[in-house]
Amino acid sequence: MVRIKYVERPQLTNRERILFLDFLKGMRITIKSFFRKTVTTYYPFEKITPPKRFRGTHAHRVKNGKEPPSFKVIEKFMDIKDGESRCVACYMCQQACPVPELFKIEAVQTPEGKKKVVRFDMNLLNCMYCGLCTEACPVDCLIMTDIYETASYHRAGCVTHIKDMSERAVDFDRRRYDEPDRIWIDNEERSKLWGQIKWS
Amino acid sequence: MELLGTVVVLTIKSLIFILGMFLGAAYLTLLERKFAGHVQQRPGPLHVGPHGFLQPIADALKVLTKEDLVPDSVDKFLFYLASLMAFVPAIMILAVVPFGDPFTIFGVEIKPYITDLNVGILLALAFGSISLYGVIFAGWASNSKYPMIGSLRKAAVLIGYEVALGFAIAGPIMMAGSFSLREIVEAQQNIWFIIPNILAFVVIIFCILAETGRTPFDVQEAEAELVGGYVTEYTGMKFGLFPLAEWYIATFVLSAITVILFFGGWNPLPLMGWLPIPAFVWFFIKVFLLFMFFLWVHWTLPRYRVDQITELAWKVMLPLALANILVVAVWIMIFG
Repeated sequence: MVRIKYVERPQLTNRERILFLDFLKGMRITIKSFFRKTVTTYYPFEKITPPKRFRGTHAHRVKNGKEPPSFKVIEKFMDIKDGESRCVACYMCQQACPVPELFKIEAVQTPEGKKKVVRFDMNLLNCMYCGLCTEACPVDCLIMTDIYETASYHRAGCVTHIKDMSERAVDFDRRRYDEPDRIWIDNEERSKLWGQIKWS
Repeated sequence: MELLGTVVVLTIKSLIFILGMFLGAAYLTLLERKFAGHVQQRPGPLHVGPHGFLQPIADALKVLTKEDLVPDSVDKFLFYLASLMAFVPAIMILAVVPFGDPFTIFGVEIKPYITDLNVGILLALAFGSISLYGVIFAGWASNSKYPMIGSLRKAAVLIGYEVALGFAIAGPIMMAGSFSLREIVEAQQNIWFIIPNILAFVVIIFCILAETGRTPFDVQEAEAELVGGYVTEYTGMKFGLFPLAEWYIATFVLSAITVILFFGGWNPLPLMGWLPIPAFVWFFIKVFLLFMFFLWVHWTLPRYRVDQITELAWKVMLPLALANILVVAVWIMIFG
């Protein structure tokens, strides 16, 4: 049986009905904001820096001595020079991706028996910028930067390759590596904004 | 010879009025966009010219150079006719609206109105009613469901409010004893007709909002429900004419008529008669303030439902207008 709940309309008092007080209330609000300062950004002339955790265009961190221990373990099996992408072609990003076909990852074996990543393309037209790939990356290689202007004149321009990804990460780390990786400034600030979090 | 002179003068005058109205309407769009922007705490058009001052010209060029598509299944004749029918009556009302007293420059007497008909206000009402056909034609000729619904809604709203509008106008006419808009203004030199006619003024405000399709009565457009109302199938300049006619020219002209009926036309504001301001400037100041009031209402309120609108028209506005006639009759009996 379908149950229907009838809700009474709020009854206006006679004063409100005759003088259109609700209209006047609304008009007071709009005239107040009319005299307030505008809150917009003049975009092409003025650009806001996104927070560090912003999920922008992807990038590859390079081998520069700041790798996590998981990379140190595998390092001697890999043919990676300093300043090159530290990708180990583990395909974890592709596994995590909701649209896995956007990755094109290829690796070959060098004559010395080491593994070399020769191709890491991402078709960002298919990407939804969910960030699951960066969380899956075991060597802290694949990251997302704060770059959000990704438009291009051709579809091919939206496919990003391993070279430009490592350049992008070098640039990003130079600008923002030392910035604290938090959306709040400190714990007091956080508890002010979000309230006390009780960890079980 | 005299006839020829009259015809030439009238033609020139009409051209000036029409061109002025076009240019004015173009800049009213800028005014509206700036106002809407600041109400929503954004700056509005900003980059074409200083503070977006040339934006209307850019818009006009854009609209004029757009591809003019006509869908296959429309009724071609009515489709073209409708955009004109919506636009021409709105601008025709200008013919009877006086903008000031006759004045003399270089020994030539200039009358800042096209004609001074003794039934001017009735003509304005009649043209207002004709613009309804534009809406209905547009909805019917488009051969599409959203325009049809939109135009039927607009017809329902207009029919309701035309009646109330007609009765509300009766008050000032009774006090002035004339249908001529110029004589109505001249009758208000001592006291504005807003004083006994406050009920009629409220009715007229609602009628103008309904008739020009501004919120809270913009059901015919209702972006959220009907794609664009009866303009859905239109493109290019044919599309541009509808909002131009409805939102700007009609609102402006009806504001002018309201100012003439209730706020003393080009008579100066009370206690400010000593200021050296010409009559038509006073008139434009008043019309501007009233137009800004309509914008303010438009960018504040949400939309009524159709049934609520017609309910308001027949159950509230019509009795109010009739009550106003009674009030004015008593006023005239007491004060002469």
